Amino acid sequence: MSHAAVDHPILDPLLAPPFPKAVLPVLRNPQLRKNVAHAIDVIQTKRARLVTEKSDWQQLRTAASAVRAHVLENLAAYLEQFEARCTAAGGTVHWAANADEARRIILDILRQENASEVIKIKTMTSAEIQLNPYLESGGVSVFETDLAEIILQLGEEEPSHIVVPALHINRSQVREIFARRMGLHDLSDDPHALTAAARTYLRQKFLKIPTAISGANFLIAETGGVAIVESEGNGRMCLTLPQTMITLAGIEKVLPRFQDLEVMLQVLARSATGERMNPYTSLWTGVTPGDGPQRFHVVLLDNGRSAILAKAKERQTLKCIRCAACMNACPVYRQTGGHAYGSVYPGPIGAILTPQLMQMQHAQSLPYASSLCGACFEVCPVKINIPEVLLELRSQVVNQERRHLGRFFDPMYLGLRVANLLFSNAWLFHVAQSLGRMGASFFTRKDGWIHSLPSVGGKWTQTRDLRGLPGQTFHEWWAARAKEAK
Amino acid sequence: MRASLFITCYNDTLYPETGRAVVRLLERLGVDLDFHPKQTCCGQMHANTGFRGEAFSQAKRLVRLYQDVEAVVIPSSSCVAMMRDQYPVLFQELGNEALRTEFAALLPRVYELSEFLIDKLGVDDVGAYFPHRVTYHASCHGLRGLHLGDRPYRLLAKVRGLNHSPLPNLDRCCGFGGTFSVKNAEVSSAMLAVKLQDVVSTGAEYCTALDNSCLMHLGGAMHRQYASMKTIHMAQILAATETSPAEATL
Amino acid sequence: MTASVDSRERILDRIRSATQSVALEPAQLASAYAALPRTYIHSGALSAAARVELLVERLREYDAEVVECTPEQLPASIAAQLAASGKRTFVVPPELPPAWHVPGFNFMIDRGLAHSEIEQAEGVVTAAFCAVADSGTIVLHHSSAEGRRVITLLPDWHLCILYASQVVETFPEYFHRSPQPPELVTWISGPSATADIEMTRIKGVHGPRFLHVILVHD
Repeated sequence: MSHAAVDHPILDPLLAPPFPKAVLPVLRNPQLRKNVAHAIDVIQTKRARLVTEKSDWQQLRTAASAVRAHVLENLAAYLEQFEARCTAAGGTVHWAANADEARRIILDILRQENASEVIKIKTMTSAEIQLNPYLESGGVSVFETDLAEIILQLGEEEPSHIVVPALHINRSQVREIFARRMGLHDLSDDPHALTAAARTYLRQKFLKIPTAISGANFLIAETGGVAIVESEGNGRMCLTLPQTMITLAGIEKVLPRFQDLEVMLQVLARSATGERMNPYTSLWTGVTPGDGPQRFHVVLLDNGRSAILAKAKERQTLKCIRCAACMNACPVYRQTGGHAYGSVYPGPIGAILTPQLMQMQHAQSLPYASSLCGACFEVCPVKINIPEVLLELRSQVVNQERRHLGRFFDPMYLGLRVANLLFSNAWLFHVAQSLGRMGASFFTRKDGWIHSLPSVGGKWTQTRDLRGLPGQTFHEWWAARAKEAK
Repeated sequence: MRASLFITCYNDTLYPETGRAVVRLLERLGVDLDFHPKQTCCGQMHANTGFRGEAFSQAKRLVRLYQDVEAVVIPSSSCVAMMRDQYPVLFQELGNEALRTEFAALLPRVYELSEFLIDKLGVDDVGAYFPHRVTYHASCHGLRGLHLGDRPYRLLAKVRGLNHSPLPNLDRCCGFGGTFSVKNAEVSSAMLAVKLQDVVSTGAEYCTALDNSCLMHLGGAMHRQYASMKTIHMAQILAATETSPAEATL
Repeated sequence: MTASVDSRERILDRIRSATQSVALEPAQLASAYAALPRTYIHSGALSAAARVELLVERLREYDAEVVECTPEQLPASIAAQLAASGKRTFVVPPELPPAWHVPGFNFMIDRGLAHSEIEQAEGVVTAAFCAVADSGTIVLHHSSAEGRRVITLLPDWHLCILYASQVVETFPEYFHRSPQPPELVTWISGPSATADIEMTRIKGVHGPRFLHVILVHD
């Protein structure tokens, strides 16, 4: 496929190559890097303008963070309340301990409905549990309805961002996909024409397919209500036209009360798309006679979340409201886009969420996919201290890996152990400095710079020089000066 | 005023001219500066790579070393950020009560260089002369870790002869990130390339910062690419005067 | 589903043991919730006129068409908007004020119209619950004057009639106006839009492509 210039497996952390390896095809793809940088620069600029406009932005962040932390600390009580209220309002609540159970519950509901087709609102949670391939193999045709998701589905591409999943694909690539899959060979690459093509393609599906699947932005414990935040109206179509609605939501998505939306909606749209408010936000409560689906199911998904909840420092990961501000602000993501993270959750939040959802058994390279610059924490509307969690996970990775004999002579592990020994004693450190100076002199050219180093050092010198070590360290200079003064 | 200089492991080894400049600068301002000969490293490299136990032992060593000093001056914002952000966590998890108390007593006396000048000494005009066009790289730790704010600009504004060209995309990381620069060398280099474009676009002769680690990264790329500009730690700019200009940099 | 029942207990047990050191007793939960920091702006500071002006400005920024009128002018204003649309057939909610059914157009009153019938309508005319100036948001609670959700979704053209007294400045003010949580809400901020292709904002994907607002100065 001409547009699928990046070779990547399906975004499954079990199969994904480590991050430093996964970035290589991306870094060699200037078109993709340009697409990604353009898209996030646009969002970043808009977000910055609207956040500056909001004089109480920091107070909103504080409130949003406090509400989310409060929910997580009291999650069992709020989930039980949500379940009771949603059930009283005519909904059916299911609990899924893991991905497999969630997939089976959803397919069972679809079979009871005799559904051979289903329309879907964009939901990263369903991508997390790889729902679509499972339903397809179970005989149900799945139709994504978000424009970006249609592009991905028809183009057999993977999402690279959680809010704008197709941001790595440009207009001419979209044209190619639509022309081929919709049979529209005269289609232009004007985004208006492409959007109109998607509208036409989906209109009849909205009107004909009586079963829909959604995610949830928020579950309201007080009322049993569910809120979905969107832009295109495909969400409203899926929430309103079908007879049966299935909502898949992570257990962490609860808010205590309806009123909490006054904070969350204000921070979410600004953080996610740089808008004061997204075009459509819908809230519904169970089943309303005469309006919308008359059968409503909520599937509450754990899939590793309760294990994250158990750890005090990592718990904040679950405060996330999936706005993607962290990936938009991340200088690493800006270079790599999302696929390199090997998970449907890319960027800084993905770097902490994915390894934890995998119970620290996979994705061990992700906590290192950050320069710890702190931009993610600064923009996070619920104040997740992502660098703090990255460091915590790095120490868990080291504790796991250093037990393996194979790691003993790994240059990085060896180097850090030796460095620690040297730093524990100034005399040893000074001897090492002298030896280092002698060693470095073999690599230092006449211009006083090192252009090439072996082993780990070669990773540095592949793109940067290193100034040769000076003949006198600072402490030697200080000692000499003190001697002179006497 | 008495103060003790923590030069940091990499400045001691790789950038002694920065240390010499701090000495010149602070002594000129009347500070009675001391240097503890047993100092080594703050533990940042180990902490940031996940070697928490090792980082803790270095942190503990540093706190013990400086417990009696009036003020510690550090010309490296990332090392100061390490102490402010990570030491409390390390001591909470691995330390004991006595150590936590010792650290809590030390922390308010730890200053990054521009903090020491502005907040502790109360000067922004240090009598410097540096007749060059300079751009200031804020560094992630200076910007978001220490919230240095306008301190560096106030200091630069009072340097006679200095012409400051603001750096576009000031808040964007240069891609160094310690061991990140070798663990994820390709991504780090891609970030560096973007940063270097911004730095070069200022038309400055020098890129300065309060952290030699970013400057090592930027300077390494400048040299590799024969860029017509150099890096210089801000201490060296502030130490320079008409009669005694900055030491020649490579 | 038995598997699900078992999982319910399993998940809740895991959550309870994960949070046992921090979770509160039910009696303390409400007061802890009440004590959460909420120091953000609750009430706006603008005059009534400035508030409405801000709403109009923000709606227009979203490409919504806004006209203003007095209560007396409203029927004429509705007629002018409908005529200018070039459309004939409009779906309306069952309790839209009779005065708004201006002569010369076909109004399909929604008393359980089929989706296919609503799809045939060229436009829709509704009232609203309120509007939030700060974000340019129109709020529908889907009362019988605002209509079922589907009628403001399928037609391509939506005329919403809003009174100045319904305009609040901030989002929190709207929530104060709505002490009983509503069952159904749609918050509409401009017409349907997408920026999924190269971040170019395109008006109108699936929802109404045209949003018109008559703001009545009451």
